[in-house]
Amino acid sequence: MKQDDIKSNILTTTLESAVNWGRKHSLWPMPFGTACCGIEFMGVMAARTDIARFGAEAVRFSPRQSDLLIVAGRISLKMMPVLIRIYEQMPEPKWVISMGACASTGGVFDTYSVIQGVDKFIPVDVYVPGCPPRPEGVVEGLILLQELVDKEKFSDYSTTLKK
Amino acid sequence: MLLPKIIAKIENKFSNSILDTTKFAGEDIIHIKSSSILEILKLFKNNGFNFLADMTAIDNLTLGGFERFSVVYHLLSHETAERVTVKAYVPEDEPELPSAESLWKTADWQEREIYDLFGISFTGHPNLIRIMNPDDYNGHPLRKDYPRLGNRERDNFPKVTRGINKDYFNE
Repeated sequence: MKQDDIKSNILTTTLESAVNWGRKHSLWPMPFGTACCGIEFMGVMAARTDIARFGAEAVRFSPRQSDLLIVAGRISLKMMPVLIRIYEQMPEPKWVISMGACASTGGVFDTYSVIQGVDKFIPVDVYVPGCPPRPEGVVEGLILLQELVDKEKFSDYSTTLKK
Repeated sequence: MLLPKIIAKIENKFSNSILDTTKFAGEDIIHIKSSSILEILKLFKNNGFNFLADMTAIDNLTLGGFERFSVVYHLLSHETAERVTVKAYVPEDEPELPSAESLWKTADWQEREIYDLFGISFTGHPNLIRIMNPDDYNGHPLRKDYPRLGNRERDNFPKVTRGINKDYFNE
């Protein structure tokens, strides 16, 4: 192989950025649709905005096979333990998008029975405002999340066993 | 007209149990004491009002009424298409009423809903548990003295933190 060929065929990078590149372009969403945001998420999946362009088309309804939890809709008092269980069932690494006003803050449902923002109980990476958000807004949130994933370090997840 | 006959029968059988009769939007409302409600409802059922269209409750804390709570039965006659509203008044210190489930099966879930949201218990109900709120819920949300944002029921859930719990490994 000529030296010029090697130059144009080999790319040097860090393992971290190579892995992050793979992760950010293959986010498998787990839609937790409880309200109208869930319907809007179908619009995000459909042909016009088509999040397959960002590698997030593989919607899994099993938390064990997905790494992006999209909380779409209001979460009631009775539903929150279910959401916590689903979040805990997802394998690491995992990210959460809080889609819409209700999931982020409780929205107009300022009552005893609606959780005033899921971030009180599970960590949220990206908040998408709107009631419901436009599909473009969700795509914007997805791109923001990809930037976040790109900046992640292995040390965020590693642990040292003291024994 | 079925109603005047029934009212006469009630007054004949259970004297002084009718507190008041009013009319709203062309519909008669019979206000009664809760003591012999089951017998009175049976009288309604056997004299034409065969269908329990709806059942609900009202908290009269700010409205004013004969008692704190009133349980409302909306009855319908399929034969004559007449409607009547029966309001049974329940005191605050002992919110208890005999169950109408033996007369109309539909009262089963309606009474569970009233129990859940108002805390009125129905004696003789086959399965009186909460229908919408979690079983370990504290409070009855549709009572007027219940705070809008609840009694901090949401604070008990576990808070999940990001990533692997490092303290778990370091211990």
